[in-house]
Amino acid sequence: MFTLPLDVLLVFMVASPVVGRVASKRGYRKVQGIYALLSLFAVAYFLYGLYNEVAEYNIVLIVGQLPFKPPLEACLQIDMFGVFMAFLYVIIGLFAIAYSIKFMECESGLSEYYTLVLGMIAGMTGIVFSGDFFTLFVFWELMCLTSYALVSFRKHKWEPIEAGFKYIIMSAAGSATILLSMSFLYGMTGTLNFAALSSRLTNPVSDGWLYMTLVLVIVGFGIKTAIVPFHTWLPDAHSAAPSPISAMLSGVMVQTGACALIRVLLLVFGSVQPAWQMTLVFLAVFTMFGGNFMALLQNDIKRLLAFSTIAHMGYILFGFAIVSHQGLTASLFHIMNHAIMKTLLFLCAGGFIYRTGTQDLRKLEGIRGAMPVTSILLAVGAVAIAAVPPLGGFWSEWMIVSAGIEAGMLLFSVLMVLNMLLSITYYLRLVYTINLKEPTSISEKATEAPVLLLIPVLILALLCIFIGIYPGPFVAWAQKAAEAILGM
Amino acid sequence: MIPLSYYVWCAVALYLIGMYCLVSKRNMIKLVMGLEILVNAAHLNFIAFSAYRRAGFIDPFGHSIVIMSIVLTGCVTALALTIVTYAYKHYQTLDVRKLRRLKW
Repeated sequence: MFTLPLDVLLVFMVASPVVGRVASKRGYRKVQGIYALLSLFAVAYFLYGLYNEVAEYNIVLIVGQLPFKPPLEACLQIDMFGVFMAFLYVIIGLFAIAYSIKFMECESGLSEYYTLVLGMIAGMTGIVFSGDFFTLFVFWELMCLTSYALVSFRKHKWEPIEAGFKYIIMSAAGSATILLSMSFLYGMTGTLNFAALSSRLTNPVSDGWLYMTLVLVIVGFGIKTAIVPFHTWLPDAHSAAPSPISAMLSGVMVQTGACALIRVLLLVFGSVQPAWQMTLVFLAVFTMFGGNFMALLQNDIKRLLAFSTIAHMGYILFGFAIVSHQGLTASLFHIMNHAIMKTLLFLCAGGFIYRTGTQDLRKLEGIRGAMPVTSILLAVGAVAIAAVPPLGGFWSEWMIVSAGIEAGMLLFSVLMVLNMLLSITYYLRLVYTINLKEPTSISEKATEAPVLLLIPVLILALLCIFIGIYPGPFVAWAQKAAEAILGM
Repeated sequence: MIPLSYYVWCAVALYLIGMYCLVSKRNMIKLVMGLEILVNAAHLNFIAFSAYRRAGFIDPFGHSIVIMSIVLTGCVTALALTIVTYAYKHYQTLDVRKLRRLKW
């Protein structure tokens, strides 16, 4: 029906509640998590097959069996960019699920939980695979729906419910805005296929409808991407969700919005590129400053990380807005680095929350004495994300800045470097509070996180260091993905 | 026959009404209704465009999109109303301004 990895993912997702139900009736509660983990391994295997196919033919086109002619049909168009992002989703999903097996042990409704996580991964994969706007929208809604449910998963507490309501109202309004922009594109051209849209909108239409559609697209995707005037849902939703879910939301879901945005802008609005390029650059700079300044004020560890995600979305958007091969490569590489580093940080924060039950940094002061491994891994992640040279974050942020300078955006590149320096202050504050301050009564009583929680975090930290000292193949892969977006 | 632009402006007006509803209303259920109005603005647009593409011919593509989108919106609304019921259990009110325990 769809392509093999996506099919497998959807089948496993639909079968997951049945497996979970049977397993929990017999008393094997961990089976559900292990089942989800194995299904993701299977997806990764099939995705590797797809990677080989794409490497050989450049683009794999899968057309649906509806009785329409090609420009009307729903289709999937898989290129290197799609495969790159899909691998990222599967890898981050693997770590999140491996972490959830222990972390979510005591929650009820676990079979629904794993179903929703698999559904979210399927939705994101579908978004980057889709070849027309309508398929993108359906998978977009799948991703949104599952993430709403996951944010308010702990429904017996007030915080997830309140954050979930805020999130659902803002994000659903964004989806409706995307739908309205789709309707205008359909009215102007009679199709929603990306290839057909780009060929039919080549001569810039002088009337205002095209610009209005452009604004609607930027606002609609911008809400999910947490561009600064629309970012207010993000810190609430990320701090209220369970830690593995925060890691997935922050590591890959927000970036999916940016990827969909840049794909639509490049393919559909290529004829009015100067109009949206500068808008995007300004929004990116606002997003950086907004995220970094707000992060300075936070006392909640997950809220601090959520605001740092907003700042990093600014960097990624800036790289995308440069629209050169170099800028896109840098941004995609940064998406990869950021996903790994942010997942590492959120999972470490999850370890603290698992043992102490609090997210307040003032109560977690000096917890290193009690939880040395988690604290040191958190420090590795924080140093990497603060762009300290030998680690992953430095290379990608440096690449974005140098791409900006090369494209003649000196002022904005300088502003980005300023932001990077600003962000070091709160990452160092995080490391300092956790590692060097005098322990409080809560942090003295804590014990080291269980081994099952430490293993995924340790692997992530090693991966983070590995990318830092050996970035070559990853950059080459990001380069191929960027070529695929630009249609080179 | 009514010109196409009437429908389009009507859709834009519906969108603005929905946004106004989201910004100004206090009742959580009214906010969910606001979402529904927003989506229906887009649906109206799709139906109008599919009818006016060619004289005497109705494009089925627009209709299939609207049907799929109605299903998706139904899911979102159901989930939103579920969250509203839980919020009512926690706060004993439907006033969204009472949900102010989270900071910005």
